[in-house]
Amino acid sequence: MRSVPLIELHRSFRGNLGEFGGWLTSLDFGDPVGEHVSVRTSVAFFDVSHMGRFIIRGSRVVEFLQRVVSRDISKVPEGSMSGPVLLLNEGGGMIDDVMLYHVKKDLWYAVVNAPNIDKDLSWLNKWRNELGYTDIEIENVTEKSVLIAIQGPKALEVMESLGVGSVGKLKILQFLTDVELLGDRAVLISRSGWTGEEVRSHGYEVWCSVELGAKLFKKLVELGIRPAGLIARDSLRLEAGYLLSGVDFDENTSPVEARYWMAFDAEKTGYVGSEAVRKKYVEGVDRIRVGLRFKKDQRFVPRHGDPVLIGEKEVGYVTSGTFSNYLGRAIAMAYVNTRHAYLGGTVHVKSRNRLFEAKIVEPPFIAG
Amino acid sequence: MVVVKTKIGEYLVKEDLLYTDTDEWVKVVGDSVIVGITDYAQKKLKHVVSVELPETGREVRKGEVIATLESVKAIADIYTPVDGTIVEVNEELPSSPDLINKDPYGSGWIAKIKLSGTFPKLLTPDEYVKFIEKREGVS
Repeated sequence: MRSVPLIELHRSFRGNLGEFGGWLTSLDFGDPVGEHVSVRTSVAFFDVSHMGRFIIRGSRVVEFLQRVVSRDISKVPEGSMSGPVLLLNEGGGMIDDVMLYHVKKDLWYAVVNAPNIDKDLSWLNKWRNELGYTDIEIENVTEKSVLIAIQGPKALEVMESLGVGSVGKLKILQFLTDVELLGDRAVLISRSGWTGEEVRSHGYEVWCSVELGAKLFKKLVELGIRPAGLIARDSLRLEAGYLLSGVDFDENTSPVEARYWMAFDAEKTGYVGSEAVRKKYVEGVDRIRVGLRFKKDQRFVPRHGDPVLIGEKEVGYVTSGTFSNYLGRAIAMAYVNTRHAYLGGTVHVKSRNRLFEAKIVEPPFIAG
Repeated sequence: MVVVKTKIGEYLVKEDLLYTDTDEWVKVVGDSVIVGITDYAQKKLKHVVSVELPETGREVRKGEVIATLESVKAIADIYTPVDGTIVEVNEELPSSPDLINKDPYGSGWIAKIKLSGTFPKLLTPDEYVKFIEKREGVS
């Protein structure tokens, strides 16, 4: 198992360590619920350095990316992120959702999910070679850099305290590069974060060297900002309605079934997997992803694989769930047979031989 | 209170309690025992969201499941370390299951059991510390 570069700092600030996607990192810092609430009501920071970071260079970068990702990224301006885009297999199944950064014409960055780093890298290299873009260079800098996410309504105040109030002018998904920070220079600072920026736009991510990352981690703690772990991050992303790679989708899931509209364009052609996706879109799918909102008095955690029932009939299954203390109820994502995906309709989820009532809803679970 | 420092975290072990190898603590009070889960167990489970308690008056045998905790991470059965009768349960837990996380050795207690059989061999605090260290590796 690999460890995030700042693992010793995690230890010294009493992170409870555990494994995620092959990485040892903090699952919480003693109070996952409190950490979650801080992000919603104040601010907290996450070391998300387990996420993979690639640098993609070459004069034909845009042309290459257009052939391998699920959305038209030619219009993403310099200094802006693409939002999630998908890498698909030829059958149209989802390998990963990744975030692309347009740094300049010949230089793009990518952030990918931790469990998929090696898979994504070999998949990108394979298509680079097969499609004849061998002049393009893809470098994995995951273990040489750090990514720190400062999230919550007070995130901008924190950035001001760090002397980088200039990020206040960034719109969602925009970023600044080569930013002076704590006497050093950060690779980039973006307005983003995966805790709910689409619904509540508060948060910044700092991509920097390991040395600056350590300095930033300590400085944030010194400023009284609490560190948060992956448990809080998971419950936050679920409230925000974001899918988790490997849990809410995998290579056997079509983006059409996942209704992952923000990450693909069913009209786009000419990229790996596009024909299969288009075919699914035209033919129709048998199951779709929905949100499940449980009643307030039911304290339980919907688990991956729990069946969704209408009466006695099994009509779907849960892919991820949590009990949100913030909302005071359990929430989940599930795949439900298309014929039974009644938005607003009542279903039951069977968990440990008990039935829990839920409504089928459209995520996000938090309002904007 | 002993702080056990392991490779993946720090755990508190109280010196005036006995322990099981399934991470319950046991406090002897007269002819009864009070049972809860250890700081190590609650940190492994993470945030507990629901607790199922036994009925009072139920007779239990050592090793039987007396309660079930559900957390964001997992579902955990709690076993009675002794033979006896459930005489009291922590009525606060169903509405405030997070007491187990906030105060595992105090207000997060689970059940009180009146002993009937012989008192079993349990782990001393020292032995329990070693047990955790063995599982997690010493830092």
